[in-house]
Amino acid sequence: MIQRRPDWLAGYGLLSPAIIIMAVMMVTPLLAMVALSFWTQQGFELDRSFTLANYFALVEPSSEPTYWMGIPFPLTYPVPAILLIKSLAMSLAITLAVIALAYPMAYFLAFHVRGQKALWLVLLTIPFWTSYLLRVFAWKIMLGFNGAINSGLKSLGILTEPLSFLLYNPLAVMITLIHAWVAFAVLPIFVSLDKIDRSYLEAATDLGDSRLRRFLQVTLPLSAPGTIGAALLVFIPTVGDYVTPTLVGGPSGTMIGNLIQELFLKQNNAPLGAAVSITMMVTIAAIVTLFLWLIGFRRLRSRAR
Amino acid sequence: MQRIKFIDRMASGRIDRRTMLRQAGAFGVGLLVLPRLPQAAEVLTCLEWAGYDSPDYFKSYTAKHGGAPNFSIFSGEEDALAKVLAGFKADVMHPCNYSVNRFVNAKVAAEIDTTKLSNWKDVFPALQMASGVVMDGKVVMAPADWGNSSIAYRTDLVDPEYAKNESWSIFYDDKYAGKVCMLDNEIAITIGMMVGGEKYETAAVATGEKLAAAAKEWGTKVVKNSRFLWNDPSELQQALASGEVVAAYAWNDVYRNLKRENIPVAYAKPKEGYFTWFCGLTMLNTGKADPALAYDFIDAWLSPDTGKQLIEGSGYGHANMKSFEISDKQAITDMGITDPAEHMKQGTLLIQVSDAVQTEWNKAWGDLKALKQ
Repeated sequence: MIQRRPDWLAGYGLLSPAIIIMAVMMVTPLLAMVALSFWTQQGFELDRSFTLANYFALVEPSSEPTYWMGIPFPLTYPVPAILLIKSLAMSLAITLAVIALAYPMAYFLAFHVRGQKALWLVLLTIPFWTSYLLRVFAWKIMLGFNGAINSGLKSLGILTEPLSFLLYNPLAVMITLIHAWVAFAVLPIFVSLDKIDRSYLEAATDLGDSRLRRFLQVTLPLSAPGTIGAALLVFIPTVGDYVTPTLVGGPSGTMIGNLIQELFLKQNNAPLGAAVSITMMVTIAAIVTLFLWLIGFRRLRSRAR
Repeated sequence: MQRIKFIDRMASGRIDRRTMLRQAGAFGVGLLVLPRLPQAAEVLTCLEWAGYDSPDYFKSYTAKHGGAPNFSIFSGEEDALAKVLAGFKADVMHPCNYSVNRFVNAKVAAEIDTTKLSNWKDVFPALQMASGVVMDGKVVMAPADWGNSSIAYRTDLVDPEYAKNESWSIFYDDKYAGKVCMLDNEIAITIGMMVGGEKYETAAVATGEKLAAAAKEWGTKVVKNSRFLWNDPSELQQALASGEVVAAYAWNDVYRNLKRENIPVAYAKPKEGYFTWFCGLTMLNTGKADPALAYDFIDAWLSPDTGKQLIEGSGYGHANMKSFEISDKQAITDMGITDPAEHMKQGTLLIQVSDAVQTEWNKAWGDLKALKQ
């Protein structure tokens, strides 16, 4: 006679493959990374005694500031701090651009497409049918010295000399990343827009709202969860991206991910690389938490009024 | 439909702990008693420079073993070393006279038994004993190819005056900002110091304040002026061919390939001197393949046939004396010098530096690149 077991056991039973995979593939490497960041590299050997030296190296003050974009960084080793700020700024710009591009697409899909929604969604995923690497290379061909944009403008007689500022700079990295992530952002925004009860919109119109006011008062707040989700989905991974800057960024497009790769590979200083990674993770987590807290805070305030 | 029933029962919470564990245990035992798939013999894995993985360079290996080895491409010896130290299982690596010591010091290089190489007897005696080939009385690198590093420039796009006074200073000249292309390597700082009047041998081993000052003065400039820092010769070749870049740090093959496409290009003999190097194959002790495969691969590289390919195809020299007997005479005349010892003396032979110095330079160069605005 089988005794009836509580539901939670069945739940964990079903979840166990996922939990095991998470533990083996995510948590263990992460813990190894944390441990690594407290060790030091001595030539080709690892010194396994506990030290905070790697973290101290990231914030060690110096009397001689290094200037980057006119901002003084009074640090002995300013590279990680500069690249972290640069990467965060770039990702923020990328996120804003992605949302600005994705929102109208999702809006169109949710409110103006009748019937063929599935077809439109499939069309949206077409860029994903090729690999990410190929899409980055495609942008290299677009922006290159003899690329599509330059030769196009030249054949139209607008340019005599190719524009050289298109490739190998932060802008090229941002354009490529924006294009790569737009489709990811459309889906969550679309889902939250699609879920909006149309009777709310009718009600707003009946009560005399203009279209703009209706959008600002009803549609936008109700689609906020999807939009916020999309923003986080884009912001978090783009901060640490390193493939795109490697291919289209040149040295001036370097981001924090490139530094981590460089520390692990070329400079053979895995512990410092680990410390930079952990710092980056903690910074991103802090920013996201702050962002969510600010949003929650504002929502509470608007309800209280 | 026992399986579905089990899942249904689990989903509805009608499974007790013992049944659950029993099923999990049965699954594990089942996996263990599955017949092991037959494993093919381990394939040789080689760490190679981009372009050197061409099948023309190891024909006898392919003929004997019916297939090419696996290649992993690196852009600099330090990348390859870090990859090996991080646990990448490679059998053969292609370092150079100035970098093989890093692999020996890291204890990943194995001694080469030259009696197992049928072509060893035809290798130039000067190369058989050269520093870098032999370290502490052991052969650690089988010399294979030798060549130059100098400036390849477009004669039609660079000021004609430059041809009369070729110099590495073009990389530090603001007139050519965004029009030059340096190798992604810390040697860019050394070259700057040479432009400033320092000798190569003292510049290459600078440390501390001196290195920091040189990195600031010369390194920043060359990183700023370079359109990009190249890792891949074919990318550089395209940039020179299109005129995106007018002058670049280049090896013989880039110059040779452009010349073949009738692009007006010259290979400079700069007043500060051009660089010479020789590279070879080192056996690593990290690999999983049979060492006999590694010996066959190295032997293929030392064969006169491979030498002919290198001489005629890329304008590089080769370690085997016989390869010069069977190569196209015009190609040999184009090379100028056919004796490696003489060749090394004509230019500045790249030298080995200690691990401490190399580590410091790696950091200096990495920081410079990261801070380009």
